[in-house]
Amino acid sequence: MSMRTFRRISQWAVFLVFVFLFLNTEYKDNDVLPYAVNVFLRLDPLVAAAAAISGRALISLVWPALVVAGLTILLGRFFCGWACPMGSLLDAVDATLFARWRRKFAVPPSWRRWKYLILVFLAGSALFTLQWVFLFDPISILIRSFAVSLFPVLNRIVHDTFGALYGTHAGPVTRLSEPAYDFLRAHFLAFEQPMFRASAPVGLLFLAILAAEYYQKRFWCRNLCPLGAFLALLGRFGLFRRRVMEDGCTRCDLCEKSCRMGAIRDDVETFHGECVGCMDCQAICPEEVIRFSGKEGRREAAVDLSRRGVLASAALGVATVPFFRVEAHRKAADPGVIRPPGALAEDEFLSRCTRCGECMRVCIANGLQPTWFEAGLEGMWSPVLVPRIGYCEYNCTLCGQVCPTGAIRRLPLPEKKKVKIGLAEIDRSRCLPWKGQSDCIVCEEHCPTANKAILMKEEKGMTIAGEARVFKRPYVDEELCIGCGICETKCPLTDRGAVYVTSRGESRAVARVS
Amino acid sequence: MTRARCLWSRRKFLRLMGGAAGMLAAGGAGLTEGGHAVPEAAAAPGAGVKVAVASGAAPSENVARAVAALGGIKAFVSRGDVVVLKPNIGWDRTPEQAANTNPEVVVALAEMCLSAGAKEVRVFDRTCNDPRRCYVNSGIQAAVEAFAKKRGASGVVRVYHVEDRKFRRTAIPGAFALKEWDLYRDALEADKIVNVPVAKHHTLATATLGLKNMMGIMGGNRGQIHYNLSDCLVDIHRRLPTSLTVIDATRVLLRNGPSGGNLADVRALGKVFASPDVVAADVVAAERVFGWKPSDVAHIRKALDAKLGVSSPAQIRVVEA
Repeated sequence: MSMRTFRRISQWAVFLVFVFLFLNTEYKDNDVLPYAVNVFLRLDPLVAAAAAISGRALISLVWPALVVAGLTILLGRFFCGWACPMGSLLDAVDATLFARWRRKFAVPPSWRRWKYLILVFLAGSALFTLQWVFLFDPISILIRSFAVSLFPVLNRIVHDTFGALYGTHAGPVTRLSEPAYDFLRAHFLAFEQPMFRASAPVGLLFLAILAAEYYQKRFWCRNLCPLGAFLALLGRFGLFRRRVMEDGCTRCDLCEKSCRMGAIRDDVETFHGECVGCMDCQAICPEEVIRFSGKEGRREAAVDLSRRGVLASAALGVATVPFFRVEAHRKAADPGVIRPPGALAEDEFLSRCTRCGECMRVCIANGLQPTWFEAGLEGMWSPVLVPRIGYCEYNCTLCGQVCPTGAIRRLPLPEKKKVKIGLAEIDRSRCLPWKGQSDCIVCEEHCPTANKAILMKEEKGMTIAGEARVFKRPYVDEELCIGCGICETKCPLTDRGAVYVTSRGESRAVARVS
Repeated sequence: MTRARCLWSRRKFLRLMGGAAGMLAAGGAGLTEGGHAVPEAAAAPGAGVKVAVASGAAPSENVARAVAALGGIKAFVSRGDVVVLKPNIGWDRTPEQAANTNPEVVVALAEMCLSAGAKEVRVFDRTCNDPRRCYVNSGIQAAVEAFAKKRGASGVVRVYHVEDRKFRRTAIPGAFALKEWDLYRDALEADKIVNVPVAKHHTLATATLGLKNMMGIMGGNRGQIHYNLSDCLVDIHRRLPTSLTVIDATRVLLRNGPSGGNLADVRALGKVFASPDVVAADVVAAERVFGWKPSDVAHIRKALDAKLGVSSPAQIRVVEA
């Protein structure tokens, strides 16, 4: 078997693990998730470095990233060619969709410098505590896009298709479709249809990355991916680098033309930082003169990165920071920014949160949603609880279990139950018993705290018709309320809840970093 | 199979619609049109409707004795019946917290239905917290599945989650308030419904017992029926009369119901109440568990007035089993 075959097996295996873990990022009758579903993010040296640098903290959770970094230093940029699920997906898209249908436009080779410039830009910002990595890190993009967009879309399609078949009530149809649907539900689909704000733009960013394959193989990896750039820098002196035994090379150009990374120049020279060790060139070389071991005959081609470009990017990264430090939300926070239980204090939280969407994916009531600008541009796509969409389940600690960088701390259940993420408030002008409309105790009955944070007091009131009557009216005990939002989710008023939660009283402002 | 039942049900539905005017005139007597076998006792108020009360440490034995005192399960479930066993699985709480029906009670009834020759025993509830968490932490999913497996009846006795697509907009002729609502298909199409509530305190309803438990087959925004809870509960039972009501009072949540969560609010009572008539069962359980008279609990009072079952406590005969 050629090394190329091994590489393909590795790509498939890793991608299947990725999908398996993604599908298992969901409550499956276990309070504690049995797998380290966030491991891909924790393996990502870019995420680790960005979170650690901008958050000014050593994050023990991301130790696996050190392994990847170490292996890259030792072996070279193999992660991109052999393991990265984004890279593998792009290869698959390329092979199935764009193999024969592409390239009306030749992408200039010099574009590959952009990824280095992006990396430097991110580093400049991170040094001054602004973390932008979420927009560019491939693992983060991939999981977020799956979680918030593609997986929900897939669910919708499957659910509605089988729903239509079910709706026919035709025996021969449903006899086949229902068992198939049950099987898919048991193994692949979400328990309930997930719904997210921003699902379209998040998905479009991802689809754009796929679409760029139309112009060039691995367009993203070659030109834009800052993780690739980071690994290229780390792996520059790796042991396994491409070399061509020039005596036997006929300069047939096959390797250079087929290279998915454009890492070959004049057949014998290699941009070592660009080479992801896919071994295609070795497999197709008719003269069999390409090796990935030994030193003799290595010829390196250098990426044309100008010093000025690098410095300018770094400076730009640094200069961006103050613009985000004068946003008005820092003076008066949006009351709707209700962070998940265990979230660090806001600045630390944002510097660590990579917007990977793991917490939103796992949130059992679908309540965690991506922000737009409520937490500033800096906080884009970070998770907030939107109680009208879903509440924070009292006995659940899943978001803290999946956060790869500890932006949401993993809390033991008894501790989590005490974390206040906000406070409920009754809108007396809308609440049915308060305005004399009718009885209603839905908020109180759902309140999960052992001693209920919503109390019903019998009070004399007046019906709308003007008759005196005793009403049971809800009050919020702010000592007991933890802001879980189930009252707001369940309030029977269909538009705005007559009880609503804001971030007031959240306890994380004084939380310590663990 | 699905199709045949479905068509039957639609015909039944149309017949119901057609009969609505007559039913209105006949008041509560129209109940028998529901398609479910309504126990004789309930259909003929005045004959002395039995409510069996069993006490003891073992919930399953209590169930066995209470049902035996009513003539045994075969009086309610016939061979070949599709039975819905409707416990309360509404909350993400453990059995000790007494917010859901005790799993042993559910299993005991599943076993009886099976022994009576039921073709299918369906266990489900539309929950308030996350359905998966409720099914797991109530202990009901595990208990029913273990029982079904032990008896080699996994295809017959099933506990499963409610799906939105299986709610069907259903008219309720003669309703006080709930003229139509989304009701669960699997309950609409069942031959028998066995109602297995847990007795709990409830801030609005005062007590939640058999009448209130049937909210679990309702879809849609159930919070809205709290505007007019008593009428709506009676309406639901008009459309879906139950064959047997078994009220679990093994542990009783006395305060902070219906969800509770505080063990200090729970009292171990070790009782089970059973009756073919849900109203009679509720009257007796309210009295014996909480010390409330029918006049204290609005929806029980309403059900009596509406002649849903017994129309007066005087018609009830309590049997210690």
